Amino acid sequence: MLDRASTFAHPQIVRLLKEKFVPVALDQADTRRQQDSEGDFYRQLAIQHSAFGLSTRNAKSAISRTTQGFYIATASGELLLYNNNRDPGKMLRLMNEKLREFASSQQDQAGASPVVLQSDRESESEDKVDQRYGFQSPKGGLVVRVQAKVLGGYPPTDDPWREIFQSALSRDNLWISAVEHKSIVQGKVPDSLLHRIARFHLVDNTRGEPLMWKPDEVKRIKMDLADGQFTGSALIHSSNNDRGYDAEIRGVIEVADGSVIRFDVVALGKCWGEGPYTRNPPPGKFPLAISFTLADGTDLADSLSPQGARGWLDAYLPK
Amino acid sequence: MAFRFLGFFVMLVSVIIAAQAAVSAELTSERFTQLHRELQADDAALWRTIPWNTDLLVARRKAGQQNRPIFIWAMDGHPLGCT
Repeated sequence: MLDRASTFAHPQIVRLLKEKFVPVALDQADTRRQQDSEGDFYRQLAIQHSAFGLSTRNAKSAISRTTQGFYIATASGELLLYNNNRDPGKMLRLMNEKLREFASSQQDQAGASPVVLQSDRESESEDKVDQRYGFQSPKGGLVVRVQAKVLGGYPPTDDPWREIFQSALSRDNLWISAVEHKSIVQGKVPDSLLHRIARFHLVDNTRGEPLMWKPDEVKRIKMDLADGQFTGSALIHSSNNDRGYDAEIRGVIEVADGSVIRFDVVALGKCWGEGPYTRNPPPGKFPLAISFTLADGTDLADSLSPQGARGWLDAYLPK
Repeated sequence: MAFRFLGFFVMLVSVIIAAQAAVSAELTSERFTQLHRELQADDAALWRTIPWNTDLLVARRKAGQQNRPIFIWAMDGHPLGCT
């Protein structure tokens, strides 16, 4: 969220990314562990930086700690820059500097033999793919956008970075299986879906990666469906009650030709507590709203797998 | 100094009371419609206009074909989603 509102809100950086670079966004926690062609290439780049090169013996082994940040690299695998600083002015300067270096190295190589590039199709067919990562959304199922916002309760701040978190709208995806989709079309909300919504999506992820709820922390989750209207409620809290969410749920659903064509749901309630990566919530109980909207594939983030499925799809969406 | 502290304390209490009031509002049909509209991504946000790739190998091929460097935004959690 910080990057979106700082580095990638800078018009000149955005222009450079569109016109001079090939931009790619990835979850490095997955990519650095992938034992496949993509993981190999990522590790090959990351270990060229001293911060990460020291932690691994070779590019084949997984880098053991986070490698998050910004990288600039060539297609041949040369790292030109690693930077983990969010100052847009500094980033812009470094990007321009590296573009000049890149252009200069291209001129130096102008007399050399050209790099032979395979077509996309040929290359892709040769790529190794680690099936433990990069999950596909369920066939015949639904992808629903989930977005959360804290509606108030933060103390005033002059800190621009903290302000970004305080006004952030989070984004995740809810996956609904084909069987669950069929059940909704028939007017029933299956328990499996209710519990997935409660455990993985009724969370405060506006300041970073949230802790998901354990099954026994879900004290109540109810969503009745009648005449295309959802009404319900949820009560979820940790065993010592240091984190929780107590919410009302309301929604509208539309079905046409055997498929859900509208899935608009809102949860509104009191939230409390924090996780290790969602520090500095408002004090006490604060209002948290979470919206659900059927994804139509027009947003790049529609293709991402749910945060709760990270590393273990079966726990999120049992077969 | 005491006045500044008192002022901050009063402001903090007001914020907490306002937050409690906001949350106690019932989720009526009107409130549902308003919140659902409010909790949607801003399509005009600059970062969303960038043609992000989500596959490093695809980006690598494009970089080779277009003779451009690759810019990687690597985060804990997917940067286009929850981070």
